[in-house]
Parts: sequence; structure tokens; C-alpha cells
Amino acid sequence: MEYKVLKATITKEFQVRLRAYPISFMVGCILTSFYTTFGAWLMYHYFFRGQLSDSFTGLTGTSDYMSYAIVGSLMYLFVVRTCLNVSRTLMTELWEGTLESLMLAPFRRVAYFLGNMLLQTITTFGETAIAAIIGVVFGLRIHEFNLIEFVVAVLISLYCFFGVSLILGCVMLYTRNTYITQNTLFTAMFLVCGITFPKEYLPFGLKVLGSIIPVTDCVSIMRASLLGGMPQAQVVKLAIKALAVGTVYIAMGMPLMKHAERIALEKMEG
Amino acid sequence: MKYFLKVVWAEAVKQHRNYFNNWTIYISLFIWPLFSFLSAYYSYSAFDVDGTLISYINGKNILVFLMLGYMAMSFFRSVVQSAWNFSRERQSGTLEYIYLSTANRLAVLMGNALSSVFESAIVMLVFGMLIIISNRDSINVNTISLGIVLIIFIAMALLWGVFLNACFLYSRDTDFLFTILEEPMEIFAGVKVPIMIFPAWAKIVSFIFPLTYVLEALRQVMLNDASVSSLSNILFACIGIIIVLLSATLFTIGIVEKHMRKTGNVVLF
Repeated sequence: MEYKVLKATITKEFQVRLRAYPISFMVGCILTSFYTTFGAWLMYHYFFRGQLSDSFTGLTGTSDYMSYAIVGSLMYLFVVRTCLNVSRTLMTELWEGTLESLMLAPFRRVAYFLGNMLLQTITTFGETAIAAIIGVVFGLRIHEFNLIEFVVAVLISLYCFFGVSLILGCVMLYTRNTYITQNTLFTAMFLVCGITFPKEYLPFGLKVLGSIIPVTDCVSIMRASLLGGMPQAQVVKLAIKALAVGTVYIAMGMPLMKHAERIALEKMEG
Repeated sequence: MKYFLKVVWAEAVKQHRNYFNNWTIYISLFIWPLFSFLSAYYSYSAFDVDGTLISYINGKNILVFLMLGYMAMSFFRSVVQSAWNFSRERQSGTLEYIYLSTANRLAVLMGNALSSVFESAIVMLVFGMLIIISNRDSINVNTISLGIVLIIFIAMALLWGVFLNACFLYSRDTDFLFTILEEPMEIFAGVKVPIMIFPAWAKIVSFIFPLTYVLEALRQVMLNDASVSSLSNILFACIGIIIVLLSATLFTIGIVEKHMRKTGNVVLF
């Protein structure tokens, strides 16, 4: 049963993509990643002439600012794309008028969202690859590739991003607004999750905010697997923490989504 | 003239009622620019700020330098949003009524830009002023030049808005504006990184944005005590842009009207 729903969702989504894919989203996201990278490149090479502050290497374990910032921007691209898709699926159904018939069908939400996520992940890998090629031009270099850490980083990131998108999806469905909610989360994540600079530079309140969003830890683990500079014990610790926080997000998101669905259906005509 | 101002005012009030009926608008007008400003500020922490090539930037005034950039950008960005909103007039069919009325077209566009420039940027402006006042030791202002630059700044932001609105009278596809004007403006107009140190090709791109010139002038008079004579080149360029924007707007309005008379369709021309 679960598998059937999963497969049906993937088939449906794939057909939607093939026929009416919002290509502007894809181009927009790759462009955003490009501008972030380009901004970092200008800052590093031209504005500050390659002079990093003394604290940077100590905090990050690397002295390659460009690789640091580019890996951050690629991870940011990944989470933004996941959220744009998974969080918005029920909203899209609401707009397109299919939410009612979807709700009539007896199916488990987990499989539905997972199906969406899986298909999205494949597309996103493609987009991230394009962005990574642009990144290489601007100075992305892999220093110490660790395959096991990399696989762990990818899996944990997918798990955590899924949790974050679920919560965002609840807020979207509840407020029936995507523009304000999604962009607020995206700009906030860019600020507190250590995308282009170590989060240790932030004041206390923002640092706390960063540590309860699992994206922060995912970005750190991914950096450790590609750029090195972090002891193994630290990586394991971060991975366990990210896993725990991600689980909290998913455990909260699922029942909340049920609740939000009910409210959305009640308000649908109004 | 009295009649012209009446139309400007009416359109401004209309815009206000349209977009300020919900508090969530303040999230997009204040929280987003604030977050990007903070991101830019903290990303500077990764660098040795005193090692920059620009003589008038140092560790003390870099906060004001950046704040001026984001404050100025919020004015220019708000008109991009207003232009985007204006295209909804076409979808909801109200553009037709505006064209049926005898209202001066330029006055309508100006009212639209006026309301967005002043209303949308006000929160960011207040915040920026607070930051600047609390860091007043680090700035070096030339008051007379500042007055002149501010007048030019307001005129340019307004006309930039009017021009974008006029473009939308003609074209229906508005999404490209965001792709072209939102994020590139932040990078290329020198909001985060001063354009003086750009490589040549990036400098050429930056000259497209009117914000580039007026932001440079604003920073010079606020941080470097620049006199009017030392800024004469930039100021002349600004005045030139103002003239070009105004004439381009008038020209576009004329073309649109002519085109519409021929095709007879306001909503879907």
C-alpha cells in the first residue's frame, strides 16, 4: 500500500514536471547560487585582497574561503529547492483545485511526501551539479574527500531538509501564503546557518536560532567531508545532533500537517 | 499643475490602500532587507577589514558603509516591487479604467512610484538612521553636498520607478524583471562591495543600474566629506540619467497609447 502511494506520487509528479515544469524556479535558484558565489569571489579577491581575518581558519579548519563559501551556497541551493517543492506540494494542490479529491483518497502522508521528495532530490542533484561546475570556475576545490562522511552528510541532509520542509509546509498551508513564508525562512537560513561565514560570528540570539535549524549542522558535516579540517569525533557528534533535531522536526511536522490540512479544507471556499 | 498633483495623490492613496491592508507586508519590506544586511555584515567578519584598498573604509565605518548601501537599495528595490504590482492592474482589468479616464498617464505612474518609494522604504530608512546616528563618530559628512545628493537620489529612485512602470504598460511578462533586477542589483550596484575595485567587465555591467552612481555619491558625501566639485562627474552622470529616464518614460507612454489605439485592446495588448 505504502509503496503504491509512493510510486503513484512519483509517476504523477514526473508527468507534471514533463508537461508543465516551472523552469523559472530552476533558473532562478541556479542564478541565486551564482550571485552568492560571485559576491563571495568579489569580496575575497578584490575587496579584501585575499586577507582573511585571524579567527576564520581557527573556526573553520580551512583557509580556502572560496571553497568554504561555495559549498555553503550549494547546500543552500539544495535546501531551498527541497523546500520549494515539498513544502509547496499541498499548496499547489490547493491552488490547482486537486486538494479536495486528494483528501478523499485514503493514503498515508509519509509516502506521498517521500515520493515528492525523492523525485525532487534527483532534479536537485542535477541543478546542484550545474551550480558546482560554476563553483569550480570560481575556485571550488576539494581538499580531503572522505567518502563515508560524504554519504552520511548527504543522507542526513536529505532527512533534515525533509523535516524542515514539512514544518514550512504546515505554516504555508495554515497561512495560505507561500511568498512571505518561504522567503522569510530562506533569508533567515542564509543568515544563521553558516552559509557564507561561520555562525560563531553571530550574536548569541541568532546563534541559538542557527543551532535549532538542522541545516546548520548539515552544512558543517558536508564541508568536513569535502574540505576536511574537522576531527572525526566532532563530525559524529554533529551528525547525531542533526539526526536528533531532524527527527524532532519530522515528528512534529507530520501531526501538524494533518491539522493544517483540516484547517485548509475548512477555509478552502472562504 | 493642480490637476496633475491631484492624480498623483489619488494614485498614491490607491496604492497605499491596496498593499498596506495587511501587516505581513512589513515582513517583506523590513525583515528581508534586514536579514540580507546582517548576512553581508557578518560575512565581512571573515576578512581583515583594514586590509581593503578603498581609502575611506576602515573597521569603524564599515557598518555605516554597508547600511547606506542597503538603505539606498531598499528605495530602488521598492519601486521594482511596485512595478511588479502594477502589472496586476492589467490582470485585474483596472488598467483599462485608468486609460478610459482623462488622468494624465505620467501622473498615474508617478503616484504609484511615489507611494512605493516613500512608504516601502520608510522602515528601512528609520532603522538605517538609527544605525548611522549611533555610529556618528565614524562618519565624515559634507552637509551641503549631502543635501544636493539626497535631492538627486529621491528624483532618481522616483524616475526609475516611473520608467519601470511604463515598461509594464507595454509588456505583460513581468517575472524577468525580478531575475534581472533583484539580486544583480545587490551585487553589481556596489551595495555589498564597492564598484571601484570591480574587474573591468563587472564595472561595465554595474553602469546599467542608476543606483550605482547615486550610491557612490551618497557614500562619498557621508563617509569621505566629498565636496560638490569633487563629485561633479558623478553628479552630472546622475542628472544625465534623470533626463534619459524621464524622456524614455514619456516616449514609452506615447508608444503604448498609439499601439493601443491601433489594436484596441488595453488588457491584452
